Amino acid sequence: MSTPSTAAPAGPTQKPVTPKAPKPQKPKEDKPQKGKEDKPQKGKEEKVQRKDDAGPQAGALATGGEAKLTPKQLKELKKADKQARRAADKATAGVAPGGKPEVGAGGDKRGKPQQGPKGPSTEKKGGKADKAVKGSGATVAAHAGQAVTQRAPKKEIPLFRHLESPGQGVNLAGSHKDVHPAILALGLQMASYDICGSSARCVATLLAFKRVIEDYTTPAHTTLTRNLSSHHLSPQIEHLRSARPMSVSMRNAIRWLKLEISTINIDIPEHTAKKLLLDKIDSYIREKITIADHAIVATAVEKIVDGDVIVTFAKSNIVQMVLAEAHRKKIKFRVVVVDSRPLMEGAQLCQALSEFGIDCTYTLIHALSYAIRDATKVYLGAHAMLSNGRLYSRVGTAAVAMYAKEFEVPVIVCCESIKFTDRVGLDSIVTNELALPDDLTNLSITRYHPIVGKLSKWRDIPNLNILNIMYDVTPAENITLVITEYGSLPPSSVPVVHRLSTNQ
Amino acid sequence: MHTYTDNPRFPAGSPTTSSPPLGLGLVETSSGPFDILTHYTTTLDSDPDLTMPIAAIESLVALLSSTSTTASTIAEFLSIIETGISVLKSSVPNAISLSAGCDLFLRYIVRSLEDPRDFDACRAHLLQHGKLFVDRAKSSRWAIAQYGAELIRDGSTVLLHSHSRVVTALLSFAAERNIRFRCIVLETAPSLSGLITARILRSKSIPVSVIPDNAVGYVMAKCDMVLVGAEGVVENGGIINAMGTYTIAVQAKANKKPFYVLAESHKFVRLFPLNQFELPVQPQYQNLLDFTTEERNANDQVGKEGEVGCVEGTDGKTGGKKVAMGGRGKGSAPLVDFTRPEYITALISESGVMTPSAVSEELIKIYS
Repeated sequence: MSTPSTAAPAGPTQKPVTPKAPKPQKPKEDKPQKGKEDKPQKGKEEKVQRKDDAGPQAGALATGGEAKLTPKQLKELKKADKQARRAADKATAGVAPGGKPEVGAGGDKRGKPQQGPKGPSTEKKGGKADKAVKGSGATVAAHAGQAVTQRAPKKEIPLFRHLESPGQGVNLAGSHKDVHPAILALGLQMASYDICGSSARCVATLLAFKRVIEDYTTPAHTTLTRNLSSHHLSPQIEHLRSARPMSVSMRNAIRWLKLEISTINIDIPEHTAKKLLLDKIDSYIREKITIADHAIVATAVEKIVDGDVIVTFAKSNIVQMVLAEAHRKKIKFRVVVVDSRPLMEGAQLCQALSEFGIDCTYTLIHALSYAIRDATKVYLGAHAMLSNGRLYSRVGTAAVAMYAKEFEVPVIVCCESIKFTDRVGLDSIVTNELALPDDLTNLSITRYHPIVGKLSKWRDIPNLNILNIMYDVTPAENITLVITEYGSLPPSSVPVVHRLSTNQ
Repeated sequence: MHTYTDNPRFPAGSPTTSSPPLGLGLVETSSGPFDILTHYTTTLDSDPDLTMPIAAIESLVALLSSTSTTASTIAEFLSIIETGISVLKSSVPNAISLSAGCDLFLRYIVRSLEDPRDFDACRAHLLQHGKLFVDRAKSSRWAIAQYGAELIRDGSTVLLHSHSRVVTALLSFAAERNIRFRCIVLETAPSLSGLITARILRSKSIPVSVIPDNAVGYVMAKCDMVLVGAEGVVENGGIINAMGTYTIAVQAKANKKPFYVLAESHKFVRLFPLNQFELPVQPQYQNLLDFTTEERNANDQVGKEGEVGCVEGTDGKTGGKKVAMGGRGKGSAPLVDFTRPEYITALISESGVMTPSAVSEELIKIYS
């Protein structure tokens, strides 16, 4: 969406052509998209139009045209324009749902200049190209293709279309004026996965909010209780959310913080209230993360015995703590770290563990069937535990758990109760997070020095899509044991503990 | 409030345990030593219907009353109880159900002490309620019998294993209500505790057929349900019970027969075994895997010493009879195995019939 200039300005001059809107290319799949797309697009067009007005020539033209248009006509015009654009989009993206041959064949289209809807729609791209465009159909189509590919995020996988498309880094300039620098920094760190992991993000968020609260002064004619959470924290939260979808732990912590703010007595002076909140945040972190982690480590270590071969997937902080503690207790065991692209978090874990002196093996997930063969236990971290006992964690976890179940290896999940949610999840599609597809095509492990891979030009290949999702859902049947600060439980008891940890 | 501060799973080795026990079963209190082990064994001996956890709790109540005048602080009070528990746990070979009862009682005490404004009143209250606690635990067997009797239909055949007081109580209750049913009892080698079950049931005019353990697959098709007791019910709803229970459970599942477990809730224990070899039994009592190339003589075989009347226990208090009753005192322990929850149809406790997954909820309710 960063290229409004390529978006079609609703040039009123095209009035006679547009009513011939393309109808044949309206697949059913358009429906869910429609509602979502309608608003932003409208807004954009209005904006663009306003810009047109500002331009000296176009302005004159536009005003002239506008005078002739009734609102109804205008509306139709916009609609037709949108449809045309969507059609063009589909043609290039090659998202041919249900195998619509004429839509899917992008190349075909390019060869056929006579395609009714195509001509007019592209004609509108860039008002200045007005005349030249009329020349050959081929150039028109090529032009259209170019224009469309520039609006890159439109390339999407139908099944995951409902998910928010990954932000292209945080837009610092576009952020709300009240967003605190600490939050801006945190947003950047989260978007780049420098702060990654459910607990770490939760702690970082709370610490950043501490700074926000420290620097907060209640405006005149209002109270902290009323103003802080609704007016001051909301833009901060919104900014974090735009940087990267919030983790369950963050959501739980923010819900708690808002509740705490709302229960502050209106009569106490501001600095006392702030002090109170800061202390509460500190003790929340201590209780829900630090002490909880200690308790989990103490319980989880007991499950490790001499001779164990422990398989773990990607990187979980708590699993690392458990393994380190087991090593410190002089238990003789071996660890197999199973990792996956593109985040390669397991490499960090493996490095840390081998520095502790633990016997480690590092492998990628495609070698799982070999890795699991010797295993006696599987230790997993969690992004969240869902209310139906399912585990929501880094994509690949479900495969590891499934293998473990198949080989009768117990699967142990270490998870603080702050990551419990009352949501119920059945699959990995309804709730998930999309990451940048380029992270997957980039063969380097960092975004900053990309290595071009074979698929790096995926945006130019119409019938190629890249799916880079972050999480998956592991069925409760594949989980043996969940270790929380409340003790060990079967996955079926997750809702009980969740109730317990939120009601107190 | 969080359980990790006073996790009742580790009271035995916890640093709060005051002085080490003096004699074998002695707990030093400020009013002089109290022999909790003797109290425990005499309590057990006095009533054949008494189970280990209840006897242990009774002994702890007795320990409490002996300290009632002297312990002046809560810490002192608790440390005496914890010492008592650790003495009991360490001197009884098979402490699964015993430790479940002790932990529950300790939890009960800690919870009662949470509002310690008036320590003396608190202590009096505890003593009084400790006895109530014991009475309630004792009566739970009859509550289970009443719930469970509903499961036994006229004309059915029930498969039993080992000896469980709650199972025989239930079957006696069902027989008294004129339900006609038959029992197949596994003899449960090497302790042959199944013979005790058979004797009791026959005395209540219930037709019983005793079969060898290895015939369980053979007879499974002929029975309508399996009823077993439990040494302990663990957090995921699985059970620890006399060796062979796991085999029967797997067989029952394969033959699609319901497998019911009868267990009082004071046998619910905060354990989560992942496999058979993580059970809290002391290895010297259950070391089945002994690979050797030498020929062993018959007396050397594992568990042989447990046969009824075959060998006198090393301790006068736990003679051959006691061993056959399930090794409640010192000496040999009955072998146990772990049955996973997916093989269990339902558990019946005094609070009703529950699925295995409900056990964890019960435990969380108790311990947090």
